Amino acid sequence: MIETLRMYTKLIGMSFRSRMQFRTDFIVGLVSVVVLNAFSLATIAVVLSRFQNLAGWTIWEIVFLYSLWVLGHSLFSLLFWHLEDLEYYIIEGTFDMFLVRPLNPFLQLLGSEINYTGFADMLVGGVGMAIAFNHLTIPWGLWQSIYLAVVVLSGTLIEFSITLALACIAFWTGRSASSINTVMQVSFVIQRYPVDMYGRWFQVFVTCLLPVAFINYYPAKLLLGKIAPGDPWYWLSYISPLVAMTLLGLAAALWKRALRQYSSTGS
Amino acid sequence: MHLFWSFARQAFHTSAIYRFDFWLRMVSNFVWMFSEYWLWTVLYTQKAGAFNVTLEQMVTYAVMASVIGMSIRPGGSVAYQIATKVKNGEIIMDMLNPLDFHLHTLARNVGETLFLTATLGVPSFLVGHFVLGMRLPANLGQGLLFLLSLGMGYGVIFSLNYLLGMMSIFTIDIRNISWAYNAVVRFFSGSDIPLWLFPLFLSQVAGVLPFKCIYFIPLSIYIGKLGAQDTLWAMVLQAFWLAALAVVGRFAWQRAHRHLTIQGG
Repeated sequence: MIETLRMYTKLIGMSFRSRMQFRTDFIVGLVSVVVLNAFSLATIAVVLSRFQNLAGWTIWEIVFLYSLWVLGHSLFSLLFWHLEDLEYYIIEGTFDMFLVRPLNPFLQLLGSEINYTGFADMLVGGVGMAIAFNHLTIPWGLWQSIYLAVVVLSGTLIEFSITLALACIAFWTGRSASSINTVMQVSFVIQRYPVDMYGRWFQVFVTCLLPVAFINYYPAKLLLGKIAPGDPWYWLSYISPLVAMTLLGLAAALWKRALRQYSSTGS
Repeated sequence: MHLFWSFARQAFHTSAIYRFDFWLRMVSNFVWMFSEYWLWTVLYTQKAGAFNVTLEQMVTYAVMASVIGMSIRPGGSVAYQIATKVKNGEIIMDMLNPLDFHLHTLARNVGETLFLTATLGVPSFLVGHFVLGMRLPANLGQGLLFLLSLGMGYGVIFSLNYLLGMMSIFTIDIRNISWAYNAVVRFFSGSDIPLWLFPLFLSQVAGVLPFKCIYFIPLSIYIGKLGAQDTLWAMVLQAFWLAALAVVGRFAWQRAHRHLTIQGG
């Protein structure tokens, strides 16, 4: 286990150094991601300035909700974004190279790339949350800090598991990037606004089918005190880590299965 | 012209290969449409008839925006196709071919756009109309004006995407820039929220940018927000931007010829 971790950090370090060869790209990438998030928030701000609240959520509560998602997303983006490129690895035969080396191919895949724009997401999420925190009165203590850290990591894992499961499709069809992109867009559409505003079946969809509501919505409700302990759905705010672990287990099983039946594309 | 259509047809066929992807995109667009529907329905409970637009008109605007977004969107395939060609050197073939690159790219993209409209746009439109209560244009004339305006809007976004693709000849990688580009275009084109919601400063900025030609003008015509005279002026503005950007696009290709560096050449 420790050996694996050491290997992984070594690989990631190599990827990072090779990325840093392109300084202009690095700066442009960071600025772009900040701009992207700024305009998403600006859209919400414009809407909320014309109407007072959205399904009972004020502007700063929504900024908090959004920032919570971005924080989880930032770690995913930094370390795992390139799962989207698995189809190219397979088509171009890079993945076959992973298979013949004496090291777990999954570890090699994870370590093969780093996406530094994740740092920009981290910045946006951190700053967004700090500003929102200043405008809201949220009771805060050690317990909340630990809970926040757990929730952010769960968010990362949920996104990671969903992406990994979709990436596995490439072992059968040779194509998955576009599907991953599509699901990420859906997830983004859902994360922008509180799930309260949707109809009942939609809430079921983002809770059970594509459980992205556990990334930010349910935890934010608890942190912002928008749900009372007597509420019949109160427990949903506590199970994000459980959802993350379950999804991770499913994705890992799918990965193993995909790998077992995989025979190279022959290119 | 015959050549134009044969390229368009070819693109139509290549887009049709991936079935799982297709269904996923269909579902994702339904999610998007429902999200827009709920957003405005919930907001309008606070302020009915905000900005002289009824809830029905607002829902029509927003849902129609996502229907159009199925086939016409910033950062569409044009920019990436050109960037990929620059990266792998294929662009050289385009420079040697006795074909007009600009028109060739347009033909391919028209084919793809028609394909997406037929397969994803039309079903989305039907769901929007029958499930979410999206209105049809008030009369045939308005519908035709909308289509004409949408066509020009398509021309504008194609030209902008083409120019973004041309940038790859000068800067090699456009993936990072395209994040910011997409966000700016989405915001100022009125695809996410209509521009009448903007505060004064932002609407002044939006006024001098070409992006509102893409979604905002066609959709305003569709829901009947613009009077006869305003419609005319809006379409003149679209025609102006379309012409200007097309000229810049041709100029960019000429410059590219002189500037080209092929990676790993």
